Amino acid sequence: MNRLPRGCANVGGDLAAAMEECKRVFLSLFEQWGYRPFLPSGLQLLESSWERLPSLFRQKLIAVNSPYGEPCCLRGDITLATVAYLASHHSPEERPLRICYSDRVYARAEKPRLAMESFQIGAELLGWERQGADAEMLFLLLRMLDEIGLEKSILLLGDATFLAKAVSEVEFSAAERIVGALQKGSLIEYAALLDEENIPDFYRAILQRIPELHGGPEVLEEAAALWGRGAPLLSLKNVVSTLTALGYGDRIAIDLSLVRELGYYSGPIFDVYSENYGQSLGGGGRYDRLLSLCGLQGQAMGFGLDLQHIASLSKFRTRSPSVMAWFANLSPDEALRRAERLATGGRPLEMSWCVDRASSLENAAQRGCSSWIDLSDGSTLDLATQGDGRTLPGKENFRC
Amino acid sequence: MLTIALPTGRVFSEAAELLMAAGLPASSLASPGRKLVFEEENFRYILAKPSDVPLYVSYGAADLAFAGGDVLQESALPLVEILDTGRGRCRVVVAGPASLAERFRGHASERMWLKVATKYPRIADNHFSSKGAQVDIIHLHGSIELAPKLGLSDCILDIVQTGSTLKANHLEVLEHVSDVSLRLVASKKSVALRWADIRAVSRAIKSRCKEVRS
Repeated sequence: MNRLPRGCANVGGDLAAAMEECKRVFLSLFEQWGYRPFLPSGLQLLESSWERLPSLFRQKLIAVNSPYGEPCCLRGDITLATVAYLASHHSPEERPLRICYSDRVYARAEKPRLAMESFQIGAELLGWERQGADAEMLFLLLRMLDEIGLEKSILLLGDATFLAKAVSEVEFSAAERIVGALQKGSLIEYAALLDEENIPDFYRAILQRIPELHGGPEVLEEAAALWGRGAPLLSLKNVVSTLTALGYGDRIAIDLSLVRELGYYSGPIFDVYSENYGQSLGGGGRYDRLLSLCGLQGQAMGFGLDLQHIASLSKFRTRSPSVMAWFANLSPDEALRRAERLATGGRPLEMSWCVDRASSLENAAQRGCSSWIDLSDGSTLDLATQGDGRTLPGKENFRC
Repeated sequence: MLTIALPTGRVFSEAAELLMAAGLPASSLASPGRKLVFEEENFRYILAKPSDVPLYVSYGAADLAFAGGDVLQESALPLVEILDTGRGRCRVVVAGPASLAERFRGHASERMWLKVATKYPRIADNHFSSKGAQVDIIHLHGSIELAPKLGLSDCILDIVQTGSTLKANHLEVLEHVSDVSLRLVASKKSVALRWADIRAVSRAIKSRCKEVRS
């Protein structure tokens, strides 16, 4: 067996099939809504990534030299490559721009996982100035999750501007420490900092409440009441009301302590969780600042999901057994012609080129096929494989 | 059902006592025997090796857990530290023979290429690299104090409670790394989606911790 480099993995079998199915569902849904596929380069110039990525992303970049001697990094983030491409390849009149992608990303391995490469699917919507873009992206994301069988997944919504405004009157380095404590999840350190730092009482009261602002839409009212006038929650409220009107009220939860890089995200942000898995499957949010760093003005919204994770939880994880079609000593062209006409009820079809019937049946049972069909006469056996590999007589007939 | 993971070993009894004192239905934890999972009313308790506890929470097998600060630092998993119980207090320190003390009083460069035996390779790496000192880290799983004695390492990085084990092995504290105590932690998902339940448990434990301290 060939050894792979540490941190790398081959993906095959049912998981690979499930990943391909999820990818197909994702791309076809988003393309149907006007998102165009994008295939970014695997190597990115370090100079164009470094300044534009938030520090947490930068720390995970894997730097390499290209064979031409240019300092590069393995693609750690597809959004940046997408935005840079769109900024230089499309005129302002062509906006809004919609992009979707499915590709590998690379990041420094972190315990407990050793993997340094992962598969990401994602979408970006750039240059739409009014409300609706955020809701469009999240609506499509939820639709996609439904279609792959994650109907109980939850979208956890926050807003980067809420925390940013709450620390806006705090001295810069103290604000960084406060946000840092919340970002790393240390509510103990966060509470201590709020006690220690010089913070105006009005903002201190808001900051003290932030770790408790979790729950349903009622949290938005509670948060708004803290601010009185001018609560920075308009965009998030719009998203919540639109998704609720679309029937997704029970799939969203509010978390105003949700932190993503404040220097990067600039509006509604979100994480996706499945019912039975503790870690985030991915997320995203509004990142207008990155857009301006690339010389574009306006709004940008995007997300990325871990394809391997969502595939492993999807309905495609258990692959439907295939139908085996025995060529029955017909000429190959005739056998293929007949097999092509078979209606298999959506199940995959495998050809069997065994010379004798018994070997073909045995092979079908070993491979876990649900049915076996003789292409010479269209007769079908419904295979219920038992412990001894015995096959049972057929119950259904396929049209041939 | 709220699932709480508890570390077996040194701090188990303190964590179990806190839960019972806080009024949670946890009487089965008083004499756990060999069972690893207990259910009482709306609570499930999982007993796990201390270093595995953060993983249980991170992967969603438990909503809440008690874990030592040392274990949390070493795991570096993205968990939410909700409460410092103040129990199980000890320190992570660098310790070694008295002859090494001079090197630790001087410039950080004096510590270059020390051989450091530890159960906490991540904490050791973070500690020494933050000072710009490159050291050889030797990852051991127990009896760390033996390493300098047998010439395996120059010093150790370990947790210390009273210091009597160090003394017995002719070692002394050379450098303080961090304070450790028993923390109540949760996953980001549980905090966001089960906040009402978690807050109730956290408040009950917090009130008990305060009572004990005062």
